[in-house]
Amino acid sequence: MALVTTMTRPQRWDTPFGPDMTDADVQALLERPEIAAIDAEAFPGNVPLIGILRNDTRIVRYTEGDIVVREGDYGNSAFLILEGTLRVVVAPSLPRHLLGRQAVGKKGFFEALTQLWTNRWIPEVRDVGRYTGKGLRSDTDKTEARVFLQDVPAILDKHRTAALVEGQLFGELAALGRIPRAVTVFAETDAALLEIRWQGLRELRKFDENWRRRIDENYRENALKAALKETSLFKGLDADALQKVADATLFETYGSFDWHTTYKRMRQKGSAAEEPIIAREGDYPDGVLLVRAGFARVSYGVGKGEITLTYLGAGDVYGFDELYRSWRDEGEVSLQTTVRALGYVDVLRVPAHILEEYVFAGIDRPPEPLRPAAEGTLVDNGLLEWAVDERFINGTKAMLIDLDRCVRCDDCVQACASTHGGNPRFVRHGKTFDHWMVANACMHCKDPVCMIGCPTGAIHRTVAGGTVIINDETCIGCGTCANSCPYDNIRLVEIANDKGAPLLDEDSGQPIIKATKCDLCANNPGGPACVRACPHDALRRVDFRDVAALREYV
Amino acid sequence: MRIIRLFNVVLVVGAGVVLVLIAYLADQSRTALGVPAQLTGWTLFAAMAGLALFNVRKKLSMVPVGRASYWLNAHVVVGLSALVLFWLHTGNAWPSGLYEQALALLFYLLSLSGIIGYGLQRLIPARLTQGGDEVIHERIPAELARIRDDVESILVACTEETGSDTLARHYLETMHWFFQRPRFFLDHAVSGQKGAHFVQHQCAVVSGYLSEAEQGHLARIGDLGHDKNRLDRHYALQSTLKSWLLVHIPLAAGVAALTIWHLVLVHVYAL
Repeated sequence: MALVTTMTRPQRWDTPFGPDMTDADVQALLERPEIAAIDAEAFPGNVPLIGILRNDTRIVRYTEGDIVVREGDYGNSAFLILEGTLRVVVAPSLPRHLLGRQAVGKKGFFEALTQLWTNRWIPEVRDVGRYTGKGLRSDTDKTEARVFLQDVPAILDKHRTAALVEGQLFGELAALGRIPRAVTVFAETDAALLEIRWQGLRELRKFDENWRRRIDENYRENALKAALKETSLFKGLDADALQKVADATLFETYGSFDWHTTYKRMRQKGSAAEEPIIAREGDYPDGVLLVRAGFARVSYGVGKGEITLTYLGAGDVYGFDELYRSWRDEGEVSLQTTVRALGYVDVLRVPAHILEEYVFAGIDRPPEPLRPAAEGTLVDNGLLEWAVDERFINGTKAMLIDLDRCVRCDDCVQACASTHGGNPRFVRHGKTFDHWMVANACMHCKDPVCMIGCPTGAIHRTVAGGTVIINDETCIGCGTCANSCPYDNIRLVEIANDKGAPLLDEDSGQPIIKATKCDLCANNPGGPACVRACPHDALRRVDFRDVAALREYV
Repeated sequence: MRIIRLFNVVLVVGAGVVLVLIAYLADQSRTALGVPAQLTGWTLFAAMAGLALFNVRKKLSMVPVGRASYWLNAHVVVGLSALVLFWLHTGNAWPSGLYEQALALLFYLLSLSGIIGYGLQRLIPARLTQGGDEVIHERIPAELARIRDDVESILVACTEETGSDTLARHYLETMHWFFQRPRFFLDHAVSGQKGAHFVQHQCAVVSGYLSEAEQGHLARIGDLGHDKNRLDRHYALQSTLKSWLLVHIPLAAGVAALTIWHLVLVHVYAL
């Protein structure tokens, strides 16, 4: 008989956000006006306010010039200013090199050609001189390393900025909405901030009316109208009507913000990921859903299972067809499909009565219903179903290899190495379905969870094209990105100097590590070398969300 | 896909037109008592130089010099055209001089290896896919070692648990050979089932002498044997895919060397 081992069931707050938070810190926070105004009684017994402060927040101190959040970064926390003054850069944005990002442009043809003789046989050779003077403040804890601005007065001269003072909250929209930070914020003076991770922020918003109002109003004021105006449904509305729609819109979140960690755990255990239902086939819709961030799967029942019809991403609409048909006196039309959160999805729900009042009458052509778009047999849909189950749907440039064409010559790997100093940035291996393989190459995800938590902002999106790249000069090798990537597409490598000698940390004697991954040959002319190098056209970079293009290819 | 199809059509039609043109011009030259071998020879040389460029392109992946798939298609069409040009140049399928015969032999072997290689590249990938368990060629030895270690751990555990060495002795006598390194190379290369049959047979033979507890260990060894057999299949097929180039490229180098010497000889002595 097998032995039974017992352990304490893991709890939400087993790993506090700030392990150094003391009772005195919590007590001091409770005395601050922003926190003292919260009605602690409104919080349930298993999620007390004091527990949130203790476990979902931490006090972070910044020195003058430290960058707190960078424009374009993905973050999962908001900040409440406890002491000091911060500056938000309004315009123009800070240059990329000041943010710790890669500033190298594309190479010319002949410059690229020089790699023929400059590439090294020794793996992962680096010019060590590039790592000095990069505005990095190191720390014993690598995740606490920071990029700082060396000349704050010059920044203030050249850029329009606004002051953020004690008591102000910022960063909550990006934290809750899973959208990139819109601005850069840096410390003008030495400052202390209360960093609240998204889980705690969600609870504060949920159980405290003032915080909910504060966060929602902020969103309504700053982002909602712009988001609504971007969707085709509300494009034609005047300012008053748009305001009415915005006022009536509800915010909803499904799934888990850190879906990548739970998904990884589930994959390790071999179980399927749970997909919370947002709306079910057969139910009557009470409003239209607009996806603000994340992904949702639209499916309909067949036998005991379901067939995926399509996927919704930011800007997509669900439930409009049924509501429109009901409004046109076709009777109560129930939802023809089910929609589920794929990992994490943030939606706006616009109530039906608002659509009836402001939108339906102005529609010339009825919307195309989703359901009849279903085509093909179960076998035809197999690849897409698999891609959704594996969450490859997140990738915009997944490396899809047709194994019936691929002769395993590794020309793609060699081409990759030839454009990256002799070091390939992907592995021609990965998950397979039928004769398709999605190789372990960065997919440049729509929802790049790898970017969450990078302490220096070294992993970032390029301005043109949105390719996710790592700035080798500011990467500190903490491994946060590699641990977050649900697809194991980021590798940590030990680097060597130009003579091939391994580089070791002066203090610990441990190897210096850098995160590496596919950068879609961002610096090289001609696009991804792997695609060009395949003699059998077996390798493509695909967006699994572009179902039409994918169907044509397969 | 549409672009590459159009490219292929243009390529084939273009090659056909060039061949007809060369044949016509060579005939005209012959009628005018000229030296048609000059025209066909230099055209053939140009075609061979073009074919060699495909290998150069593989080294230039860092610059945009066209997709390799276009280059491969051009390589195939120009390669087949070179065969026709060779016949136009020599006037028959087999030349008379010893040196020319050596050159012709290498040229035919080169063409044959190219055609066979192309055929293998079309046939083998799907067979690899159908075999399941995709594995990188360079990782196969490590995978084999892992399987061997697993099998030997099972045998040790079996002997310790049951106190019987029947299975261990059987392994040392016969199955050890199988797990040592890739086996049945040729059989796998032609889609045979010898490996699967070997595993099945070895398990069946010893099964009758084992206790119930040992049967469980045998079943696990059988599963590992089938895993190893799949790796053997991958090894054989991937090695075949890689090794034909080891014939094709040295032959190409040989043809290039003999051709250049042929050019020197012709221009020094014949013209």
